[in-house]
Amino acid sequence: MFPQLAQQRDNPCARTMTTQPTSMITPPASLALYVHIPFCQTRCTYCAFNTYTGQNNLILRYMRALERELAFVGPQAEAPVATIYFGGGTPSLVPPDAIRSFIRRAGEIVTLLPDPEITLEANPGTVDESTLRDLRRAGVNRLSIGMQSADAGELRLFARRHDVEDVRRTVALARRAGFANISLDLIYGVPGQSLSTWQHSLRAALAMNPDHLSMYSLGIEDGTPMQRWIERGALAAPNPDRAADMIEWATGYLVAQGFAQYEISNWSRPGRESRHNLHYWRNLPYLGLGAGAHGYAARTRYSTVLLPAEYIARIEAQGAPLAYPLSAAAVESEPIDAQTAMTEHMIMGLRLTGEGVAAADFRARYGRDLWDVFGAELAALLAAGLIERTPDDRVRLTPRGRLLGNHVFAAFV
Amino acid sequence: MEISKIRNFSIIAHIDHGKSTLADRLLQLTGTISERDMQEQVLDAMDLERERGVTIKASAVRMQYAAQDGETYEMNLIDTPGHVDFSYEVSRALQACEGALLVVDSTQGIEAQTLANLYMALEQDLEIIAVVNKTDLPAARPDEIAQEIEDLIGLDAADVLQVSAKTGANVDRILEAIVRKIPPPKGDPDAPARALIFDSHYDAYKGVIAYVRVVDGTITKADTLRLMASRAEILPVEIGIFNPNMQPIDSLSVGEVGYIATGLKTVRECRVGDTVTVAGHGAQKPLPGYKQAKPMVFAGFYPSDNDDYDDLRDALEKLQLNDASLIYEPETSQALNFGFRVGFLGLFHMEIVQERLEREYDLDILATAPSVEYQVVLHDGEVLNIHSPSDLPDPSTISEIREPWMAIEIFTPEDYIGPIMDLVTKKRGEYVSMDYLDSKRVQLKYKIPLAELIVDFYDRLKSGTKGYASLDYHFDSYRPEKLVKLDVLVNKHPVDALAMIVHEDEAYRKGTRLVSKLKRLIPRQLYEVPIQAAVGKTVISRANVKALRKDVLAKCYGGDVTRKKKLLEKQKKGKKRLKMIGNVEVPQEAFMAVLRLDDDG
Repeated sequence: MFPQLAQQRDNPCARTMTTQPTSMITPPASLALYVHIPFCQTRCTYCAFNTYTGQNNLILRYMRALERELAFVGPQAEAPVATIYFGGGTPSLVPPDAIRSFIRRAGEIVTLLPDPEITLEANPGTVDESTLRDLRRAGVNRLSIGMQSADAGELRLFARRHDVEDVRRTVALARRAGFANISLDLIYGVPGQSLSTWQHSLRAALAMNPDHLSMYSLGIEDGTPMQRWIERGALAAPNPDRAADMIEWATGYLVAQGFAQYEISNWSRPGRESRHNLHYWRNLPYLGLGAGAHGYAARTRYSTVLLPAEYIARIEAQGAPLAYPLSAAAVESEPIDAQTAMTEHMIMGLRLTGEGVAAADFRARYGRDLWDVFGAELAALLAAGLIERTPDDRVRLTPRGRLLGNHVFAAFV
Repeated sequence: MEISKIRNFSIIAHIDHGKSTLADRLLQLTGTISERDMQEQVLDAMDLERERGVTIKASAVRMQYAAQDGETYEMNLIDTPGHVDFSYEVSRALQACEGALLVVDSTQGIEAQTLANLYMALEQDLEIIAVVNKTDLPAARPDEIAQEIEDLIGLDAADVLQVSAKTGANVDRILEAIVRKIPPPKGDPDAPARALIFDSHYDAYKGVIAYVRVVDGTITKADTLRLMASRAEILPVEIGIFNPNMQPIDSLSVGEVGYIATGLKTVRECRVGDTVTVAGHGAQKPLPGYKQAKPMVFAGFYPSDNDDYDDLRDALEKLQLNDASLIYEPETSQALNFGFRVGFLGLFHMEIVQERLEREYDLDILATAPSVEYQVVLHDGEVLNIHSPSDLPDPSTISEIREPWMAIEIFTPEDYIGPIMDLVTKKRGEYVSMDYLDSKRVQLKYKIPLAELIVDFYDRLKSGTKGYASLDYHFDSYRPEKLVKLDVLVNKHPVDALAMIVHEDEAYRKGTRLVSKLKRLIPRQLYEVPIQAAVGKTVISRANVKALRKDVLAKCYGGDVTRKKKLLEKQKKGKKRLKMIGNVEVPQEAFMAVLRLDDDG
């Protein structure tokens, strides 16, 4: 049922972590590197990320600033880097040369583990075959493509700039360019979406033979056009019951197609879990570079200045050195004490539907027994049928708990 | 001060008709308060009053006025509360005066409570000086309103002063009119001292401060004083006047208005309407009209967080120091745990108390729907007074239930007679009479159960008449009615705090509406939750809150951890405001749903 557990044995990064668990005392086995690209051609109607339109002229300076920021922070990294993730925004707007330059510099500044996973988010229709080949040659080995839907009406509602045909073409070109690891994003629980348009989108996605699927239940974020439409009554609010119907259907369908769920919103073929994202959910350290990026390293969570121009200015000015992991772009930082780290470990770790939170790992990381720290909370959730305890002493969500995750996570805050 | 140079008066006005602004102007014109100290609406000390534009606690200010006749007069302005819940306090304040200013907004006309208070003043033989205010407004109709006043109470319209308290226009004429028209106090300077307590407040250092009007004799600081109704004996800590702040003096003599700092610890020992005399050789007969405050409306107050019970008790104790009409006793609810059943003079009084608890004492209060005092006659002849539906005895033992009925008066433009008739009928009211006040405005009289009056009647009256109607009410009688207890069961458990006493004919309609309201208010839980309304063992309505299926945050990556954690914390904090009933989380609003049964939708 959960092939990714077995799969870890073939994953060098995962094996390191299970046999040589990280702890608050001993340095972690590896770091992840997140690079935020805050540029977009247009803004999607549901999006509340730190993205900007009309500032594409800043891209090249921004990319140089990223290298500079990494040169500043990277040498003090507490562990070698296992994954790099270019997220956005629309990273596929960045010229492949700049991506290649960054990856090359990264290799000089930090220690890259062998066979690093390097992901880039791409919007369909923004990349041609030569770009894809250049990206592949630059070292990018995983593409996450924002398909969102196969339904023209839904794509219009989202103000996406592509149709399903663009997605097919981009996937086909990427395969030809040598990408063996392709993920597609889909959105469900959309106002006006029916079970049948959802089925149509998911079948269309599967027909493209992706290695990985992220399926996001539409969340209405503050400050987005969609939120305003719903407030004004121009658009119905998402209906959680219908979203539940959709994801329940998708669950059966994907299992039959040879996919396994490994996180609340993420499914993959065996061995194709996102190693970078697993890093987050395992509550392991990562560096965040760029404008409006978040990082968690040396027991500190931090975020950086939001505006790209300000980010560039701060990095170019360099300023007084700050303590690792903060760069000149850092605007917020919060020390994470042991209690907070354990809470976050539960909130993040229970999202992993297959592996969940292992008592052994918990003990190795925090020197405390999981059942001592969270016994009452876990007992209540077990009684409510939202989590289960495995014979190898892990706790993880039950199928019902996967839909009622907030109930579960809230128990730990 | 020579008694012939004293003038005691109060102001009768509707909310927003400009009483406080006018009082400010009078204080300025008499130099009682300097421009620099002029805070708007000096008399209303509490924030709450300022915000609501009403006067809750009366206050009394002494002014010195140099009149055109060359004499200086001592003027005492006795402020009165502006709401019907406090009509007893108003009557005492009026009793302390020889005259009253009737202030009417020249864009609005006279309102129901104003007229009720005016009648009270006339009954006590007060001299009335009518003033139409806000003549500076473009919509002012001062001549028309003056005529309306003439038609209503027979004052010559030509004698009605037309002023603007805001600009100050003609306000000086009011002072002259007070000198000329309002008689000086009568009273025997040599008789044993008698002073009327018309208000009080609690001071942490000086104890209860009694606001008094000396009717006979003189009170000095050296006298041991006796409160005739409460029988408390005190040696005053201080005697003084308000000008407008407290200023100690040695004595207060016949006709004068001032305060006595009693040193008493609670206002219960120093009630409004009581008579102060000297101990030993004091007066034999108290001043007339003393009444014990009688609460009409009752509600359960529970702390949202059970840990705040002691804080709530302390806060109620402190409020009671200042508010003799507030009563409370501990109450236990299965649904809401430990709290208090609190009695109020009226719904407005309840709102004020709740707001003060939340604002001044930072408490989160869960208030149950208000109830009235029912008289339950048992088969064995015993009569029980019931303040809470959950106290109703077994129906088989009851021979009769009586509920309080009120007589109400509504003033309204004639256009709204239809909607008002509908509203009153829906609330089980009975028509008494209709009279035209002038060519466009009517006075409607009805009788109506208090239980209906306290549930959104006033709000609906206001919204149904675009705010034009005004309301006055007083107790009429207890009447036997066919009343039943409507129980609400959440997840099969009866919830005492949601039970209500309703008329038998209304049980089905109210039960159905309550169930459908609750269905919308109770958040979906992990399990399906049935909600039922029942009379006795008969379920008359049922609905299910469907089980929650999905609430999970779709995305949680590196950048989301802190934000999502905050979201979860907020969600959890919100839950703390919910009450666990069995294993069902019920929000605060559910307990007030009973108040909005007639809302649309």
